[in-house]
Amino acid sequence: MSKYKTTIGIEIHCELKTGTKMFSGAPVKFGETANTCTSVVDLAMPGTLPSVNKEAVRLAIKACTGLHCDIDPLVKFDRKNYYYSDLPKGFQITQQFHPIGRDGYVEIETEEGSKRIRIERIHMEEDTAKQFHRETGTYIDFNRAGVPLVEIVSRPDMHSAEEAAAYVDTLRQILLYLNVSDVKMEEGSMRCDVNISLSADDSLGTKTEIKNLNSIANVQKAVAAEIERQSRILDEGGRVEQATRRYDESQKTTVLMRKKEGAVDYKYFPEPNIFPIQLDPVWIRDIQDSMEELPAARRARFMKDYGLGEYDAQVLVADPAMADYYEEAAKAAKDAKKTANWVIGDLSAALNRDNRTFANAGVAPEHLAQLVNLVADGTISGKQAKTVFEDMLSSGKEPAKIVEEKGMKQVTDEGAILALVTEVLDANPKSIEDYKAGKDRAIGFLVGQVMKKSRGTANPKRTNELIREELAKR
Amino acid sequence: MEKFSTEYFRKLASDLKFSLTDEEIEALKKDFEAVEAQVHLFEQVDTEGVEPMIWPFETPTVFLREDVENETLDQKEALANADDVRMGHVHVPKVVK
Amino acid sequence: MAFEQTVSVQESLRRIHDLQPELNAAVTVIDDAPETGIPVILKDNISTKGIRTTASSKILDNYVPVYDATIVTKLKEAGFTPVAKASMDELGMGGTNRNAATGPVHNAWDHDRISGGSSGGSAVLAARQAAPLAIGSDTGDSVRKPASYNGVIGVKPTYGRISRYGIIPYASSLDHVGYFTTTVRDAAAALEILAGRDDHDMTSSLEPVGHYEAELDPSLEGKTIAVFDTVADAVQDPVIRQAFADLVKKMEAAGAKIVHVSMPEQLMNLIAPVYKTIANSEAAANHSNLDGIRFGVRKPGESVEDVMTASRTAGFSSYVRARFVIGSYSLFEENQDRLFRKAQKIRRLISDAYAQMFDGVDAVICPAAPTVAPLLEESSDVRFGQDEFVEEHMQLANFTGYPSMVLPMGRENGLPFAVEIAAKPFAEQMMFDVAAGMEEILEETSHE
Repeated sequence: MSKYKTTIGIEIHCELKTGTKMFSGAPVKFGETANTCTSVVDLAMPGTLPSVNKEAVRLAIKACTGLHCDIDPLVKFDRKNYYYSDLPKGFQITQQFHPIGRDGYVEIETEEGSKRIRIERIHMEEDTAKQFHRETGTYIDFNRAGVPLVEIVSRPDMHSAEEAAAYVDTLRQILLYLNVSDVKMEEGSMRCDVNISLSADDSLGTKTEIKNLNSIANVQKAVAAEIERQSRILDEGGRVEQATRRYDESQKTTVLMRKKEGAVDYKYFPEPNIFPIQLDPVWIRDIQDSMEELPAARRARFMKDYGLGEYDAQVLVADPAMADYYEEAAKAAKDAKKTANWVIGDLSAALNRDNRTFANAGVAPEHLAQLVNLVADGTISGKQAKTVFEDMLSSGKEPAKIVEEKGMKQVTDEGAILALVTEVLDANPKSIEDYKAGKDRAIGFLVGQVMKKSRGTANPKRTNELIREELAKR
Repeated sequence: MEKFSTEYFRKLASDLKFSLTDEEIEALKKDFEAVEAQVHLFEQVDTEGVEPMIWPFETPTVFLREDVENETLDQKEALANADDVRMGHVHVPKVVK
Repeated sequence: MAFEQTVSVQESLRRIHDLQPELNAAVTVIDDAPETGIPVILKDNISTKGIRTTASSKILDNYVPVYDATIVTKLKEAGFTPVAKASMDELGMGGTNRNAATGPVHNAWDHDRISGGSSGGSAVLAARQAAPLAIGSDTGDSVRKPASYNGVIGVKPTYGRISRYGIIPYASSLDHVGYFTTTVRDAAAALEILAGRDDHDMTSSLEPVGHYEAELDPSLEGKTIAVFDTVADAVQDPVIRQAFADLVKKMEAAGAKIVHVSMPEQLMNLIAPVYKTIANSEAAANHSNLDGIRFGVRKPGESVEDVMTASRTAGFSSYVRARFVIGSYSLFEENQDRLFRKAQKIRRLISDAYAQMFDGVDAVICPAAPTVAPLLEESSDVRFGQDEFVEEHMQLANFTGYPSMVLPMGRENGLPFAVEIAAKPFAEQMMFDVAAGMEEILEETSHE
């Protein structure tokens, strides 16, 4: 199979998080009753004209910046002409000749290391209506018609399913961080079209297109399946046919949707109803200067400021809500690393179990910090902390309060521990003998006994030390 | 398909989502003689270095619309002119593609 | 004061009904219009909320807009009351008003002659004084030609001066809202009402609107008026030639400085094909929304593609469908460089030459239409290709967006002809001033 070189290019459409449509003042809302979020412009009523949404342009500028694109400060639109029941005007207003962003990239991480995937262009356009099909015919809802989109076109720089998935994942994270789009593949606010071709030499093979991918995992699976399918065809000396395919999760293969007809002529020409719009460079700079921190920068900062390892930084940053939570907690905590462990480990697990999110965790970040500090101070042991944590989740109380109420404060008083040690040693002469005979395990038993007597509040480290000291005297 | 044949015009019209009678196609064939003549006429005009004039005035504008909701139609208005409405949707016979 | 002596709404409605058998100018008469206000006639490509708007096309025979065009809102706010929707060439595509779904419109003064188009209905009703103001649209002289044929003032202001929002389009880069009045004063006042920035229309201008009526100054003293020789010399009709020459002499006597300007004939001969190419292509794309799905007359079919095809075949006339085919052909990727884009380049050459004529000049004048209105049976609409530039020269102001108006100049055997006055972009005050000066001269002349 590896005798073929795989070339992959990806086109991504993202719905922008604006309040209104790209070219009209109708609202952008999801899940609303059909045809209640339209204007005469979205329905392409005769005589209507497009009016360009400033917020859509602002979000597009953010996307271009986050993806390292050069921004064209002169905004121009074009018409893409074709007839379809979900396209009210019979043309889509897009940016064919002058995309707002060009020549960008994302850095992806794969098992082979870092790699730069180039982005050819980013442009603004408008979404189509939604349709569903039944026996009687097709039902059209124009609520989505006119929603602002950015289309992001990569160069064919990816050569494996893993790289494809990493590209989509990285890009998605950046757009999520920039609050440009909800980028929920399962909801359709981010759509991926993947083009794949295989070739035995340096020429490009025939490419097929895979659409309707609803998760990053499926991007990887679909690409892998398609590589396999095309390889088998080429192995058998056959020809790959140009087509549009989709991924079937149960069959774990790609399935033909429709064959590609000859190239469609969209008769692109400049939109006569929109004069070119000159963007103020000061406005662009302001947008860029006040942008959210990008994932790569945040990861680097976590590693530097909090001393976290790459893995921990990656996990935290992958979910902006988790990263935000962590930062709040780390501000007040004495041990940033331990705090990360709690967030990534126990807290994540608990949120999953209880069906909660980091935005609504039930445990305030400051309280988690307190818990970390109680252990760092030696007030309670790590083991005790786990119990306190569960209590924090259910009661919502501060850890210090819980420790007090339950009398869990670790006993660190030398005299008190010594008294317990003396008791235990007196009661277990055999263990003393075992220890003297070289059985180091006896220490563990004796520590356990002290812990039992103290109901878990004796400081284990100190207990261990004192036992050794006393044994030496006996 | 031969250029400017009857079949050619039939397809052209079909792509524009309407049909033409045989007479209409014959009339169009004549029109296209004029189209071809015009191409020659245009070719004689030197437009080297001349940019297409897309709008009468070419000074870029700066206006962008604020992202504030207004002029939303209610469902009744949106569908008032549609011939076949079912369950609040515009209904059409099944889409072939 | 403008619009002072005007008919009442009732009287207007009565006249429109009375004239209908003779002129066939109205598509819809708004009999239940409010009784107050100054009546105004609207070309049927202007969206009126709750009132049928057809653009004289069968496909929109049952279409009732749910919104008003911006100019309709402005007119109502200024105290005007729409009384009728006027017939036009289907979708604005034509210069005779023979291509209307409701049949041809007749010239206001001779039943056997065309009204001219595409704003024919508005022109003839204005000419017969059914209302003091009638709104049309001018893409390739479609206000000014019928104005010339019917003896009324026809104004096409600067591109973007009046909002196009709500006007069913023809060719977006050439479309202008225009209008008809019987006096220059009314024309100046009308622009104040109609003009102004509209954020719905991203091509509408932010230039401040002048007080055209209050500042109207008919004095020609010291104004530099350029005679457009290329057109004037090409007019063959001796009556029109003479009337124009006389007018120019009188203007000079009134203190105007007369100069002469011209444009290369090669460029003049390219006006018609360039216009048709750009117009057909933009129109074909613009009307892709007319498919019977969300509005308009829907014809049945097995699939949605069949529905679209059946609706558009029945809904568009043969003439319009042919122009869409030609327009679409010019937009094919393989043809654009030789046709559509080439036409746009030549548009620039023509426009640059036109603009040059205005250097150091206040206005450019020439005869408007080169003849009186043709007989119905002798007129036809050229679908494509060349045409005599003397017929199409007023399209220069559509290419360039410069303001242009026509003023009735005389009659030949009872049939009107006119003079065209053009000015620099947004210099409508100058245009009205010069027209007012000419209007005074012509009034004196008619009393001689």
